[in-house]
Amino acid sequence: MEGLLRPLCSSSMVSSPKPRNNKASLPIQLLPLMPISSRCPYSPNFTLSTKFPLSRFPPYVLYATQERQVGTEVNNDVREWAMQDFYSLRKDVETVSERVEEIRASAGLQQLEEELAVLESKAADSSFWDDRAKAQETLLALTDVKDKIKLLSEFKAKVEDAETIIMLTEEMDSIDTALLEEANTIIKELNKALDRFELTELLSGPYDKEGAVISITAGAGGTDAQDWADMLLRMYVRWGEKQRYKTRVVEKSPGEEAGIKSATIEVEGRYAYGYLSGEKGTHRIVRQSPFNSKGLRQTSFSGVEVMPLLPEESINIEIPDEDLDISFSRAGGKGGQNVNKVETAVRITHIPTGVTLRCTEERSQLANKIKALSRLKAKLLVIAEEQRASEIKQIRGDAVKAEWGQQIRNYVFHPYKLVKDVRTGLETSDIVSVMDGELEPFIKAFLKYKYSMAVSTSGVINDV
Amino acid sequence: MKLSLISAFGMSNFTMFIKPPLFRNLHQSVCSSVKSPPPPLAYIKPRMPLFLRPSTHMVAMLDLCKWYEWAKSLASSVGTTFEDVDNGPDSSLLRRELKWLVDDVTEDRAVSLLMHSEKCDRNVGIRVSLDELYKLWKERIEERRPFQYIVGCEHWRDLVLCVQEGVLIPRPETEQIVDLVADVVSDNEGLREGLWVDLGTGSGAIAIGVGMMLESLGRAIATDLSPLALSVAAFNVQRYGLQDVVELRQGSWFEPLKDLEGKVAGIVSNPPYIPSDNISGLQAEVGRHEPRIALDGGVNGMDDLLRLCKGAGSMLKSGGFFAFETNGEQQCKHLVEYMETDAGDCFCNVNIVPDFAGIQRFVTGFRK
Repeated sequence: MEGLLRPLCSSSMVSSPKPRNNKASLPIQLLPLMPISSRCPYSPNFTLSTKFPLSRFPPYVLYATQERQVGTEVNNDVREWAMQDFYSLRKDVETVSERVEEIRASAGLQQLEEELAVLESKAADSSFWDDRAKAQETLLALTDVKDKIKLLSEFKAKVEDAETIIMLTEEMDSIDTALLEEANTIIKELNKALDRFELTELLSGPYDKEGAVISITAGAGGTDAQDWADMLLRMYVRWGEKQRYKTRVVEKSPGEEAGIKSATIEVEGRYAYGYLSGEKGTHRIVRQSPFNSKGLRQTSFSGVEVMPLLPEESINIEIPDEDLDISFSRAGGKGGQNVNKVETAVRITHIPTGVTLRCTEERSQLANKIKALSRLKAKLLVIAEEQRASEIKQIRGDAVKAEWGQQIRNYVFHPYKLVKDVRTGLETSDIVSVMDGELEPFIKAFLKYKYSMAVSTSGVINDV
Repeated sequence: MKLSLISAFGMSNFTMFIKPPLFRNLHQSVCSSVKSPPPPLAYIKPRMPLFLRPSTHMVAMLDLCKWYEWAKSLASSVGTTFEDVDNGPDSSLLRRELKWLVDDVTEDRAVSLLMHSEKCDRNVGIRVSLDELYKLWKERIEERRPFQYIVGCEHWRDLVLCVQEGVLIPRPETEQIVDLVADVVSDNEGLREGLWVDLGTGSGAIAIGVGMMLESLGRAIATDLSPLALSVAAFNVQRYGLQDVVELRQGSWFEPLKDLEGKVAGIVSNPPYIPSDNISGLQAEVGRHEPRIALDGGVNGMDDLLRLCKGAGSMLKSGGFFAFETNGEQQCKHLVEYMETDAGDCFCNVNIVPDFAGIQRFVTGFRK
């Protein structure tokens, strides 16, 4: 899972080396003069030499399966491996360098520095300690900002070290394995640190670590919209499975002709909510209707809601009974012993905010009520967090509807193929892959977008 | 977990906690002998619900999908026919049942595969044979056999209760009786630690619900006339590990409780209350398949309710609580009137409580 936010690792070059005939294209000055393996036998990148120390196995054992001329000199092989490693390392350094720049930009380094200046001038003010609580707060913020700036500078410094080594090696007539080794280590550690930083920065919401519940509801428009909802259901299930999350369709109510009216998916696993939370909103499709004999162009909508899958015991909010309108589906007629129908659906409305949840997947009313209530609470918690309300009571009901129904992405199948995210502007023409669950670029782009928005709109300057 | 429960469950255990009737039961020929040891009532072996059976039948996923598609189209073909005839289930409810049937006969993974119709070649273990599955769903649609009898269980409150033909399927409305009891014991220690009685327990639903709520503090006795019902109730009580809390006694209404007169903290019951004339017009699942003895309440449906009211006066201790389910407004009013005028001034705070659909469903009150 952690790989989601990482750029593709270029180490694949190492694992499938095709060293034959590469020599001709190498700039001559880069050829190592000494066999690398003798100087640095344990470098992790030198896979062959670590797995099979040359001293123990003759080279033809190593390459017996590689359709290779057995007579090739050992030194040549080693040189070629070193070249491979160098190129792969150089590419790694380039990638990480871009990544560092990206992160420094999205973390709002400039703003951080401005914040730092403001905070420092506050702390220097003579009346600073008049309000102790506030002073304490400011100092904490100051430390936070300082730490962050320090971390971002460290990233920069580290990647520059690695770049210097690469440059040096290119200029020199020889390869200094120890140096390359050092660069390699720097890159590895930096990648880890960047992963950690991204994860904590981008997925720092209070519920981001949790699993997620996705509810999909077909918009108005009959069979076309219901088919669209079904396509979205498949898309998210495929995404979940690709991420190796435990993905379950817990409820699905089929449409009359095709597709679904609604469905609920539970996605269990770390950070599922963090990644999926940006999928909430209205998804729009434009295509030639498969349900219309004239094949007219048709626009349909489906709503997606995402809530954290919170363990019952972690939701410690109490909602007064009088704020809840709980209705059960009725079997009709006289009820009681007269009727036997599996009508167990429960619908709960939180009266002050108008937030409504329906739960039909469980087989008893009580079970549905418990589940609906816990999902309602999770939803209220998320809304409260979004609105920066410290209590459920402060939620502005009018804002909920507008925010949660916002159109977030267009999927155009006809007259051209394009998936475009309305918020981030990210687009791709590979609509087939997207519908097959390739959502990472969109998710990543949104997380960054959300993060940079948060950085530019809030920040310590406004709060303190 | 489930498996260990079954394997730990020996049939001989039943006899340990079903008490034979103390008196000869006039309505009942099964136990007409006065011999000792007690007649082998408890040896009626309940049918194992599908979800507790081992998944030993290997089928190809493809064949299971084929069955599922067949069953789905059979459900869809019903449309609103049943609903129009006798307020029976429509296609969408039947499809929901079908999904639950799949849940009960397969392991988790297979279901989700079915749900996305991602067909593949592998085999899966299911809990009944494929032939049986075809047969069961045919029975569901063609004979209107209740879904709960097909799978052998009903999800009720947070419980999964085993049921089978001959035992009334607990209804969602009845879940509320447990809440009514929870309300009165919440601020009444005496009632909480007292003895509770569920008359005509059927699958044991109310007794188990109340027993779970009272935890180790209270004690409950569940009675039923039907030995089969008691066997099923015993199975359910055992499954929830309540054999020390819920005691089962066989007999008609108060007959097996003669030793407890004036000692009972609370009486709850969902007695038969449908007027005899209405039975033939009931939804087919109910009228054709559920035990008439659990439904038919006599000419106006009040026979057993009135008997309960009469008995409650002498069984309940002072301050004791009762809650009875009824057929609706008319019966509720009748009952309240009876309690306030004819019952010899022994009840107070008699109340009518509506069910979740707003139908006046329960009569509750206290012994003075």
